[in-house]
Amino acid sequence: MRAVVFEDAGVVRVADVPDPVVVDPGDAIVRVSRTAICGSDLHFFHLKAPVAPGDVLGHEAVGVVESVGGGVTSVAPGDRVIVAFDIACGSCWFCRRGETQLCDEAAALGAGTFGGDLPGAQAELVRVPFADVNLLLVPDALDDERALFVGDVLTTGFYAASIARIGPDDTVAVVGMGPVGFFAAQAARALGARSVHALDLDADRLALAERVGAIPVDVTARHPATALAEATDGRGADVVIEAVGSPTAFESAVNVVRRGGRVVVVGVYAGETVEMQLGVYWARALELKFVGLCPVHAWWDRALAAVVAGTIDPIPLISHRLPLEDAPRGYELFDRREATKVVLTP
Amino acid sequence: MLGATEEDHAVPTFPTEPWFQDLIAQINGSADYVEAAATWEGDISFLVEAEPDKGIPEDVWGLLDLWHGTCRGGGVVDEARGKASAYVIRAPYSRWKEVVVGDLDPVRAMMQGKLRVQGDLPTIVRYVRAANELVHLCGEVETTFPDEG
Repeated sequence: MRAVVFEDAGVVRVADVPDPVVVDPGDAIVRVSRTAICGSDLHFFHLKAPVAPGDVLGHEAVGVVESVGGGVTSVAPGDRVIVAFDIACGSCWFCRRGETQLCDEAAALGAGTFGGDLPGAQAELVRVPFADVNLLLVPDALDDERALFVGDVLTTGFYAASIARIGPDDTVAVVGMGPVGFFAAQAARALGARSVHALDLDADRLALAERVGAIPVDVTARHPATALAEATDGRGADVVIEAVGSPTAFESAVNVVRRGGRVVVVGVYAGETVEMQLGVYWARALELKFVGLCPVHAWWDRALAAVVAGTIDPIPLISHRLPLEDAPRGYELFDRREATKVVLTP
Repeated sequence: MLGATEEDHAVPTFPTEPWFQDLIAQINGSADYVEAAATWEGDISFLVEAEPDKGIPEDVWGLLDLWHGTCRGGGVVDEARGKASAYVIRAPYSRWKEVVVGDLDPVRAMMQGKLRVQGDLPTIVRYVRAANELVHLCGEVETTFPDEG
C-alpha cells in the first residue's frame, strides 16, 4: 500500500509499505478514506521526537473497516469509523474511570517509539489495536470530512471547553487559534459563553475565528490583557483556554484571566519553564488545570453529537484537500503556516 | 526611541525619557519619599508593554536606580539593562497609565497580578509607603499620554 513515511528531519515521502494485517484478536484493519496532518505530526517531521526513517506517520483518520480479529465485537467489515488518535486498552483502572489518556497500555498511531511503534494513519490502510475501544461508528448522515477530526483535535478542543465549566455569563478567551483553539472556541460558544475572544497573531486564523462567532483579538495590535479588561469592566476573562503550548502563551493566559477565574491549559508542553509568583497565584485564587492528552474515548460521543447538531462545524478549518501522494507538499504548507488544516485522500 | 523627539520644555509624554527625568526630579525633591524609602536598596525597571493601538508600538523599559530614599539616576533603557535590575515590574501601557493617574493602587495591583513583579515580592510589598509615594510623585509629573489627543 501507499503511505506517508518519515525520511529525515523536515522530509517525508510517499512510499510503498507492506499492508497491515491483524496481529491480535482485538485488532481491526481500516481502509482510510480521509486522513489529516496534525500539529503534533510536525514534532516528528522535525525530529523533535524519536521516529525512524521509513516509519508511517499520522493519527487522524476516518475510513471503512476492512477486517477484524476474532475478539472484536463492536465493529464489523463495512462499518464506517473514526479512529482515535490515542490508543487505549479500555480495561485498565484508568480506562474504566474514563481517563483513557492515562491508560496502562497507552499508545499512539504514527508516533514512533513514544507511541509504541504503531504504524500511522496517513496511509491506505491502518491497523487499530483494541478496535472495540478505539473506533467510533460514524452516523450515516455525517460525511467523512465532518467526522474526521472527532478522533483528535475537535474532541480535544471540545474537552478543554467542557472541563472549563463554562457558564452563560462567562467571558471566555482562547489563546491560539490553531485547530484545537478553533474547536475550543466553537465549543465554548456551544456551551453558552456570553462571548468568546480569540487571541492570535495570524490574520487567517483570526478570520477563521470570526467566521465561527468568536471576537478576534490581533495580539500584534492590541495587548490581550487590555482587550479582555476592556470587555469585562476591568476584571479579565472568566475562563481562559490556552491552546498553544509555549511559555509566552501560558503567561498571556494567566495575565488575561480575572481573579478567581479558570485557566485550562490544553497546549502541549515538554521541557519549558516559567517563573511564577506563587503568592500572587494564590492570592488571585486561580484555578489552573493542565489537560494533558484528551481522553478522546470518553468524550467523542458528545463531540460527535455537537457536529451532527451543527453547533460545531469543522469544515471552515480545512484549507487544503490533497491526494495522499501530495503529502510532502501538505507538510510543507502546514509547517509554513500557509495551511490551517490539510486533509489527505488516499 | 519614544523620547528622542521630545522638546525639553514640552509637557512630557508617558513613558518617554523626559517623563522619567521629570519623575526622578520629583523623587529627589520629596522629603516624604526620603523618609519612606530610607532603607531601600535596589534598582527597579518598569516594563511598559506595547499597545500599538494606543500609541505604544513597542515595549518601553524605564529604570529608576533607587538608593536610601534618593534616585541616583535612570531613564529609558534598553531591554538588557532593564532585565538586569533587582526588580522588574511589568504591565501593559494601559495599566501603567491607571497607576500614573492614581486609579490603581500599586501594591494591591502587584498582589493581584495586575502589575507583575520579578524579584522578591515580599520585600517590595513591605515598602508600601515608598511605593505609594512613588505613585503620588508620578501624579505630580505633568504628563500627556499618547492615546489622548
